[in-house]
Amino acid sequence: MLRSSLSAFTAGAAFSLLILAACGRPADNGTSSGRTLIQNKGSDTLVNVAQAWAENYKEVDPTVAVAVSGGGSGTGISAMINGTVDIANASRAMKDKEIEAARGNGIDPIQHVVGFDALAVYLNHDNPAQSLSLAQLVEIYAEGGSAEKWSDLGISIPGCPSDEIVRISRQNNSGTYAYFQSRVLGKGKDFKLGSRDMHGSKDVVDLVEHTPCAIGYSGLAYATPEVKLACIGEDAESCVEPSVEAAVDGSYPIARPLFMYTSGQPEGAVAAYLQWILSDAGQCIIKNKGYAPAAPVSCS
Amino acid sequence: MFEATELNHRNQRTEKLWRLLFLMMTLLLILPVAVILTVLVVKGGPSLSIDFLFTEPTQGMTAGGILPALVGTVWLVVVALIASVPIGVAAALYLSEYAPDNWLTRIINLAIINLAGVPSIVHALFGVGAFVAFFRFGTSILAASLTLAVMTLPVVIVSTREALKAVPQAFREACWNMGATRWQTIRKVVLPNSVSGILTGVILEVSRTAGETAPIMFTGAAFFLPFLPQSVYDQTMALSLHLFVVSTQVPDVPEGLPFGVALVLIGLVLSMNAVSIGFRMVLRGKKKW
Repeated sequence: MLRSSLSAFTAGAAFSLLILAACGRPADNGTSSGRTLIQNKGSDTLVNVAQAWAENYKEVDPTVAVAVSGGGSGTGISAMINGTVDIANASRAMKDKEIEAARGNGIDPIQHVVGFDALAVYLNHDNPAQSLSLAQLVEIYAEGGSAEKWSDLGISIPGCPSDEIVRISRQNNSGTYAYFQSRVLGKGKDFKLGSRDMHGSKDVVDLVEHTPCAIGYSGLAYATPEVKLACIGEDAESCVEPSVEAAVDGSYPIARPLFMYTSGQPEGAVAAYLQWILSDAGQCIIKNKGYAPAAPVSCS
Repeated sequence: MFEATELNHRNQRTEKLWRLLFLMMTLLLILPVAVILTVLVVKGGPSLSIDFLFTEPTQGMTAGGILPALVGTVWLVVVALIASVPIGVAAALYLSEYAPDNWLTRIINLAIINLAGVPSIVHALFGVGAFVAFFRFGTSILAASLTLAVMTLPVVIVSTREALKAVPQAFREACWNMGATRWQTIRKVVLPNSVSGILTGVILEVSRTAGETAPIMFTGAAFFLPFLPQSVYDQTMALSLHLFVVSTQVPDVPEGLPFGVALVLIGLVLSMNAVSIGFRMVLRGKKKW
């Protein structure tokens, strides 16, 4: 009799534990055992930078922990609309419809530009070309493009007897690859087969440096004095030299701003975190990851 | 004596041929497992070290260890087990020991089988709707583990029922004839004789829970977290998601690192299984028939 009621008690305890767990969620959402937690979610382009910021911010303020999740700009923006994140990362601006939806939930999204995704087209120093148009880049890189030899573009390179365009690209899971594809080739268009696909942004620049026949694209931050940066324009005359300033003012064609959204003007830990991101320390981290900083910055 | 006829010879040859064919199929089954393990050990082995297991990732997750992911996966599995094993075993006990064979029981059975066939990404969306949003657990270990528990419940129920069925009916009848109630029979005869089978189901559940990525991606697992989880309300990193992240999301990861993570994940599952298998062997030694 006593025994069976004991067993019943055990079984009951398991269930009540579950139910207790269900009801016991602490009311203070933002803290976890004395630590302020910042929820940061969104863009896969920004996720690696966001991770690096979170990793380094641990040393700046050990009482604040930043939890980073990816999933894409859309994921971050809808989490902002639902009010489940403190900071949403996005590589595109919020649409009017999304801002309206957020306001409907009592959230007023504020946009912060934290950097730029600016791609430079790299050429070997032997290459006499100064500028390339977007149309020429399509002929070179896109499937079905007609440019296979440098002479097809009216360019002759002294150190390149084969005349063949050695196309250097990135592996297809890189954000650089995806952005170059959508901005330069156009939505839904594929890269021509036969390119050398590098695993790192720096590798692209290194290979261009040592290959006279080569052309490559990579983050502006990877520029070195040993390679040449092509001036890019809609056509050859109106080209813009790649620079952080040109990315910031929007005149350079292969650049897009990277955003962080907060609900209302940031306060407290979130404000401090954003301020640190826009400081030299934070901006040097985004530069090291191959993106252009929000404003010119000098890093060691 | 008998002289083997032409027909006998032919039958023997066919027999050998079939036997060989079935053997080849069996070996074919082992081949992928062997290849996977070999590749993981060869490519991932060199990146394994004590530091790899017990330090946090550094330099944008291209260096350092996997401690938060390892701890996170253990949290997720343990909480999922706590939630699903009692419910699963209780349901299996009802269905196998109490329920009459009528249309309601048959519908419940059908539902369980169907639940087992639901794709894990659908469970993930259910988890977001139910545990993250409706119950307001937020993205947390609790929400992720409960999602995993719902997903693996059919495994526990089905394997527990099989284990209960394996207990000879005569055992129960003997017990009832002594005047024991159903619950007394279950506690004294049925459960002790089926624990090893039930543990098999738990083993299967552990393996599946530790390896799943989709159900935890939106419900509780983070890309990066600079601290170890302290309670079930914290978010966590997890080995399976970490493997996805370092092999597809993070650029410039050294080649050995993802293989090292995969090796640890498989090692963790195998060692959890080893504990359960050890239990099973001890318990099976006590079997009386």
